Amino acid sequence: MVELSVELSWAETTPLSRIYAAGRQGAKEHDAGLTMAEQTGFELVQVMARRGQWSATDQACKEAYGASAPAKPHAVVAQGALLVWSGPDQFLVLSPRGDGLERARLAFAGMASLSEQSDGRSLLRISGARSRDLLAKVCSLDLHPAVFPQWAAAATSIDHTSVNLWRSTDRDGEAVFHLLVFATFAESLWHTLLDSGAEYGVAIDAPGAWQA
Amino acid sequence: MKYSIFSLARAALSGHKNWPRTWRDPEPQKQYDVVIVGGGGHGLATAYHLAHEHGIRNVAVLEKGWIGSGNAGRNTTIIRSNYLLPGNIGFYEMSMKLWETMESDLNYNAMVSQRGVLNLYHSDAQRDAYARRGNAMRINGIDSELLDQAGVRKLAPFLNFDNARFPIQGGLLQPRGGTARHDAVVWGYAHAADKLGVDIIQNCEVTGFTRDANGKVTGVETSRGTIGAGKVGIAVAGNSSRVAAMAGLRLPIESHVLQAFVSEGIKPLIPGVITFGAGHFYVSQSDKGGLVFGGDIDGYNSYAQRGNLPVVEDVCEGGMALMPVIGRVRLLRQWGGIMDMSMDGSPIIDKTPVDGLYLNAGWCYGGFKATPGSGFVFAHLIARDELHREGARFRLDRFQRGAMIDEKGQGAQPNLH
Amino acid sequence: MRIACPFCGPRENGEFSYLGDAKPKRPAPDAGQDAFYDYVYLRDNVAGEMEELWYHGGGCRSWLKVRRNTVTHEIFSVEPVAGAGAQKVAS
Repeated sequence: MVELSVELSWAETTPLSRIYAAGRQGAKEHDAGLTMAEQTGFELVQVMARRGQWSATDQACKEAYGASAPAKPHAVVAQGALLVWSGPDQFLVLSPRGDGLERARLAFAGMASLSEQSDGRSLLRISGARSRDLLAKVCSLDLHPAVFPQWAAAATSIDHTSVNLWRSTDRDGEAVFHLLVFATFAESLWHTLLDSGAEYGVAIDAPGAWQA
Repeated sequence: MKYSIFSLARAALSGHKNWPRTWRDPEPQKQYDVVIVGGGGHGLATAYHLAHEHGIRNVAVLEKGWIGSGNAGRNTTIIRSNYLLPGNIGFYEMSMKLWETMESDLNYNAMVSQRGVLNLYHSDAQRDAYARRGNAMRINGIDSELLDQAGVRKLAPFLNFDNARFPIQGGLLQPRGGTARHDAVVWGYAHAADKLGVDIIQNCEVTGFTRDANGKVTGVETSRGTIGAGKVGIAVAGNSSRVAAMAGLRLPIESHVLQAFVSEGIKPLIPGVITFGAGHFYVSQSDKGGLVFGGDIDGYNSYAQRGNLPVVEDVCEGGMALMPVIGRVRLLRQWGGIMDMSMDGSPIIDKTPVDGLYLNAGWCYGGFKATPGSGFVFAHLIARDELHREGARFRLDRFQRGAMIDEKGQGAQPNLH
Repeated sequence: MRIACPFCGPRENGEFSYLGDAKPKRPAPDAGQDAFYDYVYLRDNVAGEMEELWYHGGGCRSWLKVRRNTVTHEIFSVEPVAGAGAQKVAS
């Protein structure tokens, strides 16, 4: 008879913490071709404009966040939040942990439906010279800078997993991609990404707080 | 001619240069007792059984391409009778028995190879479902064996038993299932039907039906002229809706593309037919050594005999999950065939509302194994104007009567059957 | 085959799920059994140009009406249908 012991804890964890190992993965004979990290400490709200309420939602967005709501696939750096297009008449509000939901509730009351997703999604960051090569193996989108510039965004599927993908500000002259994925699919996607990037050498940073 | 060891020796002595045609290439006559539209396995088997069992020999089989150009040469060659539901189970077993005597019946080597069909299960629930299926088969006198993991290991030690996501718990084996050489099946039926007087007319596309004042079908219009017929049977699965539309009929059928694959030849690996229970993937190994495999239909209406990449990926993923050993094997060829996807996943063999017009359709992607039984039952229907006992539930009006035969319990969404 | 989603741009067809012919319309509740039989079970099963419903489940989750040739897989037009974002749908 196997004894099962389950330790319950209130300590904060993340969808990837069970398998996460910071340090080098894959090829080690050269410098790491890319860097991957889980991003934490964010608040995420899905905003879906109600029928006929897109203009009002857009107006409210301008007033509350100082920027137009994204009406096409891109991400908008707004006041204290990143607005990421996620579909027609809908977008995500990503902000550092705090009053994100309350702020969205006050801004969009009566015109849009909100859904709190902070613990429902996992956020991954991929950066470095070979990040496009890694993504080219698993993502069917053309991520060439000419068609996928900084702050371009897309809702797509990677390894049969729905992903919101966007490109943020370059770091050290190299592209930085963010992938937002359902929390329960994060582990599977993480393995797929690591496998795909192994030949380039992957440096895995310690999980860090998300910043726009 | 009759094929035998003597004919083989005789032909060998002349350097195999004097083999006669396997069947004649006749000009179409003006009038036949029966015209079968479609020179695939089902149409040819129907013509053979019309001539052989019912003495109706003034028969033409019209084929728009050549014998073997359609689904007859595009399937993955699997034969089995491991069905669950009344209506299917007896029919497919009758068909299985016809496979077992086919080569002597037709005097043709169809390379029928009863190497076993093994359906794997990966969960307790799936085991229970297969136990039920196996019991239903045994009640109907069909061989079936429920294997545990050790039993499967004995047959196929190379499978990925300890796959973390889909560990193999066991399988349902039908030892009498297996494969047959699909081209040889149509060549054999063509040969045997031709010998009994049936005209097999290739490159002859049906473009319409001729009808009398009462609406009765009196023949077909073709790319080679009008041909009169006492009765017309349609056996053009994949294109049934198009042909039926020429007679003003709409069918409970959608046409979908199914892809199949063959790898480069490798040493003998796979003992019989193996199907993955946690994805859609089935595989066998041909006598030449190639792995012959397939999976799901592409899922959208299509009359193109080619599919798209997502399903190629899906099928290969299924294969890799089941047997990672094939990871370095290269694909040799890949193609598509058009399936009559019916609304309950089961076929239709019935008279139509049009007098003199008979329909054999809706085989989804299970038509090959049904070839001999389908021909037998369809010939019975055309010759006697009554349903054969084993095909009696394949009625065209069963959807109106609520008498569906839905093995998957999927409902009227054909791309999910 | 790639489908140009009006919201996301051209995407591989693996991102989409297929419903089928866009033509059948649900009959009125009192239309009778024949009408429902026709709606549920019978199909034109067109060989050629056909309007059909696809769902972009692997992307923006919009329902789309696609005009496509079932013989060549050529796609002529893609439009959003009701439910796919009120602002762009005419009816």
